[in-house]
Amino acid sequence: MSINRHFNILDYTLQSLLRRKFKNIGIIIVFTFVIFITGSVLLLSYSFKKEAMLMLKNSPELIIQKTMAGRHELIPVGISSEIMKIPGVSKVEPRYWGYYYDSLIKANYTILASGESLSANNRLLKGRLPGINENNTAAIGRGVSEARFLNTDSSISMQTAGGRPMDFWITGIFEADSELLTSDLIVISRADFMKLFGIPEQMATDLAVTVSNETETVVIAKKILSQFPDTRPILRSEIIRTYDAVFGWRSGLILTLFSGALIAFIILAWDKATGLSAEEKQEIGILKAIGWETSDVLEMKFWEGLVISLTSFLIGIILAYIHIFFFGASIFAPALKGWSVIYPNFKLAPYIDFYQISILMSLTIVPYIASTIIPSWKASITEPDIVMRG
Amino acid sequence: MLLHPGVIALVIGSGIVLLLILFASATGIRIINRWDIKSSSEEQLDLERKTYLISTLVQYTLLFEIISLFLFIYTADDMHNILAGAMCATGSFNANPYGFPALYVKVISLFISAAWIAVNYIDNKAQDYPLIRMKYKLLLFILPLVLSEYILEIMDFRGIDPNVITSCCGVLFSEGGIGIASSLASIPVVPMVIIFYSLFAIVIVSGISVIRSGSKFYTIFFALVSGIFFIVSIASVISFISLYFYQLPSHHCPFDMLQAEYYYTGYPLYFSLFMGSFFGMMTGIIELFKHIPSLSSVIRLIQRKWALIAVCSFALFVAITLIPIIFLPFSLRGY
Amino acid sequence: MIRTENVTKYFNRNKPDELVAVRDVSFEINKGDFAVFKGPSGSGKTTLLSLIGCMSRPTSGRVIVGDRDVSRLPERFMTEVRRNTFGFIFQQFNLIRGVTVCDNVMLPLFPTDIKPSELRKRTENTLDNLNMLRRKDFLVQKLSGGEQQRTAIARALINNPDIILADEPTAHLDTHLSEEFLSMMKKLQEQEKTIIIATHDPLVYEKEYVNLVIEMRDGMVRQITRKG
Repeated sequence: MSINRHFNILDYTLQSLLRRKFKNIGIIIVFTFVIFITGSVLLLSYSFKKEAMLMLKNSPELIIQKTMAGRHELIPVGISSEIMKIPGVSKVEPRYWGYYYDSLIKANYTILASGESLSANNRLLKGRLPGINENNTAAIGRGVSEARFLNTDSSISMQTAGGRPMDFWITGIFEADSELLTSDLIVISRADFMKLFGIPEQMATDLAVTVSNETETVVIAKKILSQFPDTRPILRSEIIRTYDAVFGWRSGLILTLFSGALIAFIILAWDKATGLSAEEKQEIGILKAIGWETSDVLEMKFWEGLVISLTSFLIGIILAYIHIFFFGASIFAPALKGWSVIYPNFKLAPYIDFYQISILMSLTIVPYIASTIIPSWKASITEPDIVMRG
Repeated sequence: MLLHPGVIALVIGSGIVLLLILFASATGIRIINRWDIKSSSEEQLDLERKTYLISTLVQYTLLFEIISLFLFIYTADDMHNILAGAMCATGSFNANPYGFPALYVKVISLFISAAWIAVNYIDNKAQDYPLIRMKYKLLLFILPLVLSEYILEIMDFRGIDPNVITSCCGVLFSEGGIGIASSLASIPVVPMVIIFYSLFAIVIVSGISVIRSGSKFYTIFFALVSGIFFIVSIASVISFISLYFYQLPSHHCPFDMLQAEYYYTGYPLYFSLFMGSFFGMMTGIIELFKHIPSLSSVIRLIQRKWALIAVCSFALFVAITLIPIIFLPFSLRGY
Repeated sequence: MIRTENVTKYFNRNKPDELVAVRDVSFEINKGDFAVFKGPSGSGKTTLLSLIGCMSRPTSGRVIVGDRDVSRLPERFMTEVRRNTFGFIFQQFNLIRGVTVCDNVMLPLFPTDIKPSELRKRTENTLDNLNMLRRKDFLVQKLSGGEQQRTAIARALINNPDIILADEPTAHLDTHLSEEFLSMMKKLQEQEKTIIIATHDPLVYEKEYVNLVIEMRDGMVRQITRKG
């Protein structure tokens, strides 16, 4: 193994890259930008996915919704006793949730009735949750508190379905590992929830079914469907799949759009690499005349490509990381989320892994390196005697 | 077609590899037809220069193939979330009939392109290009592989339908199932352990004999057992080695050990196995070139070097398999 | 040491701009010779130098260096011969601009498996012999003409070659520097090295220690004069 040889050639390559600083800095800037954008898309979509998974981890295995004319309807709480009778079902709990549009800040809140199993990873930043029977109190998400400049020991007013105002005393503000879940959340008591939306007694938004053996979930879902043909059972695993497909699809779409830019960049790289200046050609001729071989020049060009792409890759991915996790993906978050105006303030939990890095490398470094092969070879076969022919 | 980022990366990567090999093959055909070492025509000079291009292209191909193999397994693993019934990479590969064939073709083209580089390395040691035609015929053999790899990959991703319930490794490798994979998992552990370790002993002993004596018999024998040991090792990974890694009596997945949860142990494990089998088999294959006068002395030296690499890699591989067996509390006794 | 047998070299063969640079040239140079290719520009001296220096291959005929026929060697072997046997000094010095003296001198040995520390030591020794050590970290374009010339010689000597090839080395030098250069070559010849210079400068080929003059014209050998 001739380690010294590779080391020597690498040494010379670094020198000659530094000598042509200005020529190389241009390509590094463009390449860094390409990696920054592609990397941001990837990091963002993966951390979204991670958050979605985090929040679904604590949701029930099975949710039963009622449908009417193909639309989601309120479900009578009464049928839960029927469902309890199905073997394997360990618990049935009605859930009450809905959306409330706040015309003041033009945003949607998610309203949830307390008293049911709120995800374990929800922590309160300060204060406490309203009690089950504690009326006219609420706990709110950080997004809501920031948008409305609310703090604990102040109150928020909402309009009931009948048009009358209803005040809620704020007892707590959420902070959670996954801010996606709680940013726009308002938790109130069940009785208040019914009053706010004018929901008749004995009705609920849907039913959460806990199953004792997870592998039987599909069988139980089928049984419920045959007993109550107007319901729609939703499996947790199905939600996970949908989320995954949606996030994968969205980032895939953006990447596809972006591949146009990538191709443009490759053309640029090709152009840069093919356009060997007279000075460079002379230099390669000298190297070959004094004892370098074609494969040595090829190796030098390989190091050159590697140094350029790794430098750009490192800078690009660090910038993407900062962009996504410290600046909340300010550049293109709307394209990927696009739900509520409250969202732009959220912070994602930093998450990066091997897989994302290898995808990013295959999308950027591989095309770049491939596009430099032929130009490098063309440079390397420069005849040594050109230096004598003058 | 799934617009998953990993899928896009793979399709772009394989497309590039296909282009590189297509280009190399087209030039290779010219060399096969027109090569004339005695001529000093411009054309011959041009062809000589092109040999540098081709070897560079194949070297990069190998590099990209390695990246894309791991990316393929990783993507399959990542996609199990969107496939009903799939719990790991095995489930994703099984989601349609193209998954596993695509994986196999990837492994084969990895081996063949590495073999090409090895043959090229030997050819470059002689002054008269003794293997040049053979080398470029081998190159033409890589083209259909890379092409079918590309097609299978696309068919696989097109065919993945998130709504079809796939069988995951729990089912595929369950002892009651049918098919090769599950029969591997159901091989009784004790005989498998005995076969694995005794074959390992044979490989090491014959490898050392190659290094010391270099007789033709030992060389061919060593190459053969290296090949067999590769297959036996994969079978053993599925049958019992994986169980020790995961500390579970029924998790036979050969891919999960590439994940962070298992400290990426799969990488050194498979890398050492591939290295060992590759150099072991190549030692025997280059025996075929020994009769060429300009190569015979070179080959002897190379064979010793490669046999040494193979023996060390196999030893490393077995050492890695022994780590969980020795240091972790899990025991298969009773299962 | 070096023998050519009926060497012919075409450029752009079978094209409208075809050119015969060297035609049917045969001669022999012995170890320790101080040889000169003499002739006007365009007479084929430089092509001949590049042929025996393993930089290009003849269209026909044979070039033998040592005992080895190099006329049909694959490129990597030609490079090996070139690197191990020859030291080159070019007309324009051909130093790489923007690179220090030390690195310029080290260049020929970069692609060999020599340890960086050893390479550096060897370079400093060579530079010291030529009185150039104090300039080792200078960029070559900052040097005077004489210093550039000595850097080029140091580079040609770093691989400890048996044969030194020089192409019009005095073309851009004044008489003083030319004399200095020739005395250095003379010293090298005394160290058992073979010197081959292509030139049309009388200052060179009229020197008494030049023992072999090969006169070229229109790509053909006109006259070979061997003294002593």
